[in-house]
Amino acid sequence: MSELIPIQLPLWQMPLLVLLPLALPAVMIAGLRRMVNRRRIPEEERDWSIPPLTDGDGKSLLHRWDVRCKILTILVYSFIIASLRHPEPAAVAVAASLLVLMIARVPLVKVLLRLLALAGFLGMLLVVMPFTVAMHPGDTLLVFGGVNWLGLNLRGLTLAATIAAKAVAIALLMEPLLSTAPLPVTLHGLSRLGVPEMTAQMVLLSYRYLHVFRHEARRMSSGMQLRGFEKRTNLATLHALANFLGMLFVRSFERTERVFDAMRARGYQGQFPAPAELRMHFTDVLISIIWISAGIALIVYDRIVLQG
Amino acid sequence: MHDIHKSIPWPPSDDALVSVKGLSYSYPNHRKALTGIDLDISSGDRIALVGQNGSGKTTLIKLLCGLLSPTSGEILYKGKPLPDHHLDRSRPEIGLLFQDPDDQLFGHTVVEDVAFGLRNQGLSRENARHEALHALEQVGLEKLAYKEPHNLSYGQKKRAALAGVLAMQPDVLLLDEPTANLDPRQEEIFLDLLKGFHGTLICISHDLFFLYELCERAVVLDQGHIHHNYTMRDLVSQRRSLREHGLDFSFRLVVEPPAHLPDSPLPEDMQVQTPSIPDRAVNEKLVVMRNYQYCYPDGTFALQGVHLSIHAGERISIVGENGAGKTTLLSCLIGLRRGEGDYVFDGKPVTKSSRKDLWRHAGMVFQDCADQLFCASVREEIAFGLRRLGYSRAECRPRIHQALSMVRLEGFEDRVPLHLSGGERKRLALACVLAMEPRLLILDEPTAGLDPHGEEMFLEILGNLRTTILLVSHDMFLVKELTQRTLVIHDGRIVTDLPTHVFMKDESLSSLNGLAFSYRQRSSSAIRILQHEHEHSHLHEHLHTHRHRHGELEHEHPHEHAHEHTHRFVHRHTGDQQQHDHIPSRYHDHDHPEHGSESHDHSHPGIMPNGREPRD
Repeated sequence: MSELIPIQLPLWQMPLLVLLPLALPAVMIAGLRRMVNRRRIPEEERDWSIPPLTDGDGKSLLHRWDVRCKILTILVYSFIIASLRHPEPAAVAVAASLLVLMIARVPLVKVLLRLLALAGFLGMLLVVMPFTVAMHPGDTLLVFGGVNWLGLNLRGLTLAATIAAKAVAIALLMEPLLSTAPLPVTLHGLSRLGVPEMTAQMVLLSYRYLHVFRHEARRMSSGMQLRGFEKRTNLATLHALANFLGMLFVRSFERTERVFDAMRARGYQGQFPAPAELRMHFTDVLISIIWISAGIALIVYDRIVLQG
Repeated sequence: MHDIHKSIPWPPSDDALVSVKGLSYSYPNHRKALTGIDLDISSGDRIALVGQNGSGKTTLIKLLCGLLSPTSGEILYKGKPLPDHHLDRSRPEIGLLFQDPDDQLFGHTVVEDVAFGLRNQGLSRENARHEALHALEQVGLEKLAYKEPHNLSYGQKKRAALAGVLAMQPDVLLLDEPTANLDPRQEEIFLDLLKGFHGTLICISHDLFFLYELCERAVVLDQGHIHHNYTMRDLVSQRRSLREHGLDFSFRLVVEPPAHLPDSPLPEDMQVQTPSIPDRAVNEKLVVMRNYQYCYPDGTFALQGVHLSIHAGERISIVGENGAGKTTLLSCLIGLRRGEGDYVFDGKPVTKSSRKDLWRHAGMVFQDCADQLFCASVREEIAFGLRRLGYSRAECRPRIHQALSMVRLEGFEDRVPLHLSGGERKRLALACVLAMEPRLLILDEPTAGLDPHGEEMFLEILGNLRTTILLVSHDMFLVKELTQRTLVIHDGRIVTDLPTHVFMKDESLSSLNGLAFSYRQRSSSAIRILQHEHEHSHLHEHLHTHRHRHGELEHEHPHEHAHEHTHRFVHRHTGDQQQHDHIPSRYHDHDHPEHGSESHDHSHPGIMPNGREPRD
């Protein structure tokens, strides 16, 4: 086992070699954020992160794919990606995800929005990890201006990049998974795969009533504001907030009862009508087999080819 | 007590669709909600279920559709007891429309929601969708079928909820406050839709004008008992009985001065009362907005080019259809939102920082008072704002007492706001605001959801206030009674600014912008006639023609004389007052049975009193 390999560099190269490469994605992210924000989203527009609720215009292969096969395949494939160890297969996984995006023909803006949600976390990882990763014998350290304690570990950078690539590859698949079928159908598929029906129903109703509760909370908050309420770090604020949350809970509970009554009044007996008839064909299974095989190939490449 | 105006009760039916026998229901805390209810409902009946808040109306309809099980007694639907196996088959035939459409629209799209009941009835997905679209077409929402319910306006949500019930083609339709919080145009649309329903209909509402248009039969509930079961006509015409049940809405039947009778001066109590402007309102401008606008993040203008000035002490109403921009204007006025343009409050420009202090000078009573009540006791609730104004606990005490007495809630200090009735909570919300002595009091649909008794009391309280009032309401009666000036807002602009009495007379304006209330005027006139039409016997003189006898001579000619007989008169009583005068010169046409054979001792040229012609 060899010792650490330090590479001494003048301090002026630090911005060039470290900060600039890190700043570039940051600028890209800021640009993306700006581009997305420029799309003025009406107050009442659906939250972008929520999957569509109705059938869209999509006619791609993924739209036609049986939802159960799709969920199961993408779930297994995601675990395979998460288990990769080397940056090369992780990069191949990103490329494969981009290919899936192209096949699914999902809106690019929504994909970017999902990536933006991850960007902060991944950016932090890329900045912190090269400087904080545990030193192993044989690691290459970039030391700027002789400041030894601030050595940039290239193995740490590779590790962070691999994690980021895996996260991006999986995040890119979320849009094809969730946007190529209406949410009720996806949840129906989940319950057919063994997830309790009640969970799926609760997810569906939560989405519908999130808006109602948000409006209620906003109105109550306005009511408090109009009587001079301001959030401060004192007991009175805590007391008022406790009252607010308590009242919101009571109102939510009462509404839950009324909604349940309304459902029963229209014949609900514990089961929502199936939103779609699920039929599995041979092609659905074939696509799953091909996809999982691709995942296995990645594992082989990662664990046998690169390890060897 | 109710025998004063006793009328024939609704006859029991042999072929009742729904038959309720000895029904009682107690809440889980053992408080009795309904006791000994006996009721027969025939197919095609249109029943108004009325009573004060908390009288058990909603509980009764929940029992009728099987959502609750009776503590004792039974409900027969088509001759079979409702619970058990029969309930599953009966439920799709009994539709229930809830008061709050958000309770009922749990689907993710409108069409999916409307199809929910149909799918539960066993229809295939395609058929259910087809039927749902048809039902949406019926209520005029076919273009919004694939919208998410939370993106609809309140009126549209109500109609979507109705479509969900109508799609199931119920035999019985139960409605809980179907027109609450709707603007007059939406109300009329709703009324027309319900008139088109041909099954059995049971409707809960505090709006007796609406019920009068819709129903033929009325069932009055009082503290869990059925007190009356008679015709709607009987209900609205018997004012004393209405008052005993807290349902007297006669204060709304304001009589306009009859233009065609200039010679008949109205008694003082019959003249239209216009609230007087307090002296201090002379020229002091409390609020000035110039070229004010507010834009939503999506670029839609909620307000544009608003010019508004409110003098201190003035009473102004803002009217307009749902979504016209009324609420946004209020939010800007009170500092919850900030638009662009000049806004001066009490002589000082409202800036980004000073708008946060507007709450010290302006108070608002919300449409749903539950939005502003969140404390554990009434005392705490009123003290909340006062404490933030800087008053000590000791200083708060007399102010709390004073505010409670202003809204007639003395002694309620330790009560829990959540446990108060709807009317009491509304008055408490007002007390919370009044205690802070606002210079501008904003009222957003203050009487929504109140029973007539609560409405009348609230109106009286508001009438006694001397502060500047800005009222937002669809209720034209309230506008007329409380305010002197009316602003019509449409599409984010103030399109009309008129004295209220002028606005009220301008039919083209009142029918504009969703303010049409023609059916209310129609039923108001009809009810006024019913309420104030009764027989009187008094001596009067008039000129008439009929055959009459003078001794042996019988002939016919116009003649004038005084006689006493009964008449049906249309006139107004003040309160419960029974003594009243009739307008002396009013014209009335009536029969005079047997009058022709009575002795007529008027003189005729050339005829003797005995009827014989004088001899030369």
